[in-house]
Amino acid sequence: MAPEDLLTLEHVTVRVGDRALVDNVSLGLPRGKLVALIGPNGAGKTTLLRAILGLTAFEGHIHTHARIGYVPQALQYDRTLPMTVLEFMALSLQRMPVAFGISRAARQQVLSLLELVGAQKLAQARLGALSGGELQRVMLAGALQGKPELLLLDEPAAGVDIEGEATFHDLILRQVRDHGVTVVLVSHDLSVVSEITDHVICLNRKLMCEGNARDLLTAERIAEVFGGHKAVYGHAHGHGHTHDHGHQGHDHE
Amino acid sequence: MRMDMATPTITGTRATTMNDYVAYYLAGSGSAVLVSVLCVALASGALSPIVVANRMAFFSDAVAHSSLAGVALGMLMSAWIPGLTTLPVLTMAGFGVCVALVIATLRQKSPLALDTLLGVAMAGSLALGLVLYHRVRGYTDLHGFLLGQVSLLGWADAALMAINAAISLALVALFSNKLTLIAVSRNLAQARGVSVARHEYLLIVMLGLVVSISVKAVGILMVNALLVVPAATARHLVRSFAGLFWASMAVSMIAGVAGLLIGDLLNLPTAPAIVSTSVILFAAAWVVGTLRGHGGQA
Repeated sequence: MAPEDLLTLEHVTVRVGDRALVDNVSLGLPRGKLVALIGPNGAGKTTLLRAILGLTAFEGHIHTHARIGYVPQALQYDRTLPMTVLEFMALSLQRMPVAFGISRAARQQVLSLLELVGAQKLAQARLGALSGGELQRVMLAGALQGKPELLLLDEPAAGVDIEGEATFHDLILRQVRDHGVTVVLVSHDLSVVSEITDHVICLNRKLMCEGNARDLLTAERIAEVFGGHKAVYGHAHGHGHTHDHGHQGHDHE
Repeated sequence: MRMDMATPTITGTRATTMNDYVAYYLAGSGSAVLVSVLCVALASGALSPIVVANRMAFFSDAVAHSSLAGVALGMLMSAWIPGLTTLPVLTMAGFGVCVALVIATLRQKSPLALDTLLGVAMAGSLALGLVLYHRVRGYTDLHGFLLGQVSLLGWADAALMAINAAISLALVALFSNKLTLIAVSRNLAQARGVSVARHEYLLIVMLGLVVSISVKAVGILMVNALLVVPAATARHLVRSFAGLFWASMAVSMIAGVAGLLIGDLLNLPTAPAIVSTSVILFAAAWVVGTLRGHGGQA
């Protein structure tokens, strides 16, 4: 493990039966960087994050002492369930059942976390009524509890409008620049990857490439990683963008 | 004649008015019935938000349907262990928990969808129950297990239902935060250090126990409604999880007491009267929620 690396993976393989979802991946995550994890659907991106979080069995070694925060893919819960943002965030901050009320300490902690992402006003909002961008900020606030050194964000931009996405990226960049947090961002939006990330990991079950974003994101490399079905085109909001036009499904959850 | 009826009497005269029934349940021999109903309502009202949030309505129904086999097994075994009168209750609870665990394990291991597994478990355990029950008693008193025997409950039953309520409240007090987090996102719960599998098994075992015990009072066909309808009703009226919990308890208790009295006044079987009352409350809450602009989303 290089001293500048926050986390190191050595020959990490995750299998389901005989099939390797992640195949012999070795890499190091540099400290204080915004790292993009890219690859086509089914490439093992979510599985790799789950292995890092210790949520799935793997072969090989993962070395880290970092405190880890995590934002999962879109939540699959019943959005009609009555629950405020305050209650949702307090679920893992207090022992007293949220059904019995919120403790003063938990309330203050939740409000402080929401303030970090500019979402204090959402404390009493119903979780199921939040827009994609609002939910994303709330989830980020939840991931910041415990002051993580490493943030794993699993496709957080799914279902979020452009403005909300830009706000979210600003928040992430602030965590990286102001607090030295290492962020791993799973993303399908290669324009975002090339604009805001420092470091790119390309995965297609195996590690396909790793290094500086601007150097790596060439048309040839993208075709190699994504299997040649990428398109480069101009978005309504400006610059040329490269997007994955594969299936909308996710690896997991 | 009501199928579950032990006709309420006050000082030897058959109760006919609301005041008679209230006196019967508060001061007469019906107190055990009232306490039992309140305890069942407390248990189901407290668990209802967790059952609904974790989408376990069909699961609890499958466990309820297995109760008949548990009771019949206990009756068969009573022939070998004479004098142990509580055996059918024990085997009912034990069998319910076993069925719950089998379903939970198959859910983890089997490629089949959960509703398919539940359908098979429900049909299979009910068929087994009917076969065993028929072997022991023909179909005598079968309706008591299907529709409950509320008005026949005594203080021993009330004590059992009080234990049931205590189990439910303990589950809520100790584990509801983690179980709710799991309901929102299993991955997030796991990442925050919650042992998802262990908590899901715990919920399943506790739910199996509570459902099996409640069946003795309200019957196989009615018990699931008591676990689902309170939270389904409350969610039309509230916007917070705390509100859901307390409103669910209130709906459950109101439906329990009102159903008991309505059943008496209209000469209806009690458990179906309680469930019918709770469904009427559900419809009223839906209308209120819609008029307030919340619809089904509180």
